[in-house]
Amino acid sequence: MRRALTGRRAKLAKRLQMQQGLTLTSMMDILTTLLLFVLKAFVAGGEVSTPPPGVTLPTSTAEAAAASSVVVAIERDAIIVGGERVAMVRDVLADQGPAIPLLASRLVQERAQMDALAERNPDAKPTPRMVTIQGDREIEFRLLRKVMTTVQESGFEDVALAVIKRS
Amino acid sequence: MARGHAGRKRSLNPEGDLNLLPLMNIFIVLIPMLLLSAVFLEIRAIEMAGGPTSSAAQSPSEALDLAIRVTADGYVVTGEGLASRAVPRGTPTTEKPVADASSAELARVLGEIVAAHPDNRDIRIVAGSRTRYDEIVTLMDIARAAGLPQAALEGDGSEV
Repeated sequence: MRRALTGRRAKLAKRLQMQQGLTLTSMMDILTTLLLFVLKAFVAGGEVSTPPPGVTLPTSTAEAAAASSVVVAIERDAIIVGGERVAMVRDVLADQGPAIPLLASRLVQERAQMDALAERNPDAKPTPRMVTIQGDREIEFRLLRKVMTTVQESGFEDVALAVIKRS
Repeated sequence: MARGHAGRKRSLNPEGDLNLLPLMNIFIVLIPMLLLSAVFLEIRAIEMAGGPTSSAAQSPSEALDLAIRVTADGYVVTGEGLASRAVPRGTPTTEKPVADASSAELARVLGEIVAAHPDNRDIRIVAGSRTRYDEIVTLMDIARAAGLPQAALEGDGSEV
């Protein structure tokens, strides 16, 4: 009699276990939190926080956060604006002029777009005319100087240098 | 018979839970994809006090006109009414573009100048054509730590 009861209990327990399956709710909570965290990091960062693959930024003790702005990336062999290579470093260094005409024309386009947007939304907060330079740590000052001169001649008042925070 | 079938169905799914497995599958694909493409670096910005100018341009602080000049042998700290102070270059590495000894000496020299001229917050970094970008950023860090947060960049046309 007792053996029969134990056997019935074991069968019942086994059946219940089969019906229950995995408890996915807690797992779903973890995944939802992770997903929101990762998405927020993307939205908050934007273009300024993501240097192109060929650029290794210098490290610094600077604390100021990178503001939303036009980004000029300087790789070892090219200058990039908005994901497009606008000039090759070799040609830029070979040219004796103080500025970079190809970069200047691209920056003038960017500024015109900013002005057009500002005209369409007069109530919106004015976007600062700022350029953030994402320069590779190994570039030489003669190249950086040309880029900065071009930026200022193209009507952007403020220049910031993007760096990686030293831990 | 039909009643028996309905009863069995209820016992299989008594609380009517949602089927979460498809959603789980989406999440499990989405999260690694986003994590792989994320950049986990803390990006900061150094705002420049002025753009790169020639040596003839107006200085950021007329009163003291403090500057660090990068030379072949190291660094020279100059200023109006100050005796020039040379700091040897030492042995820089890839990780430390300004050698530790030079960095400490520059910090000490700048600290003394800041103590004597507390109102001055400007400094010019006068770099040569071939001075590396990370060396310039490190010099700015040293100046900022010494109490000179407004750094401007200049070129002297030398091949350093």
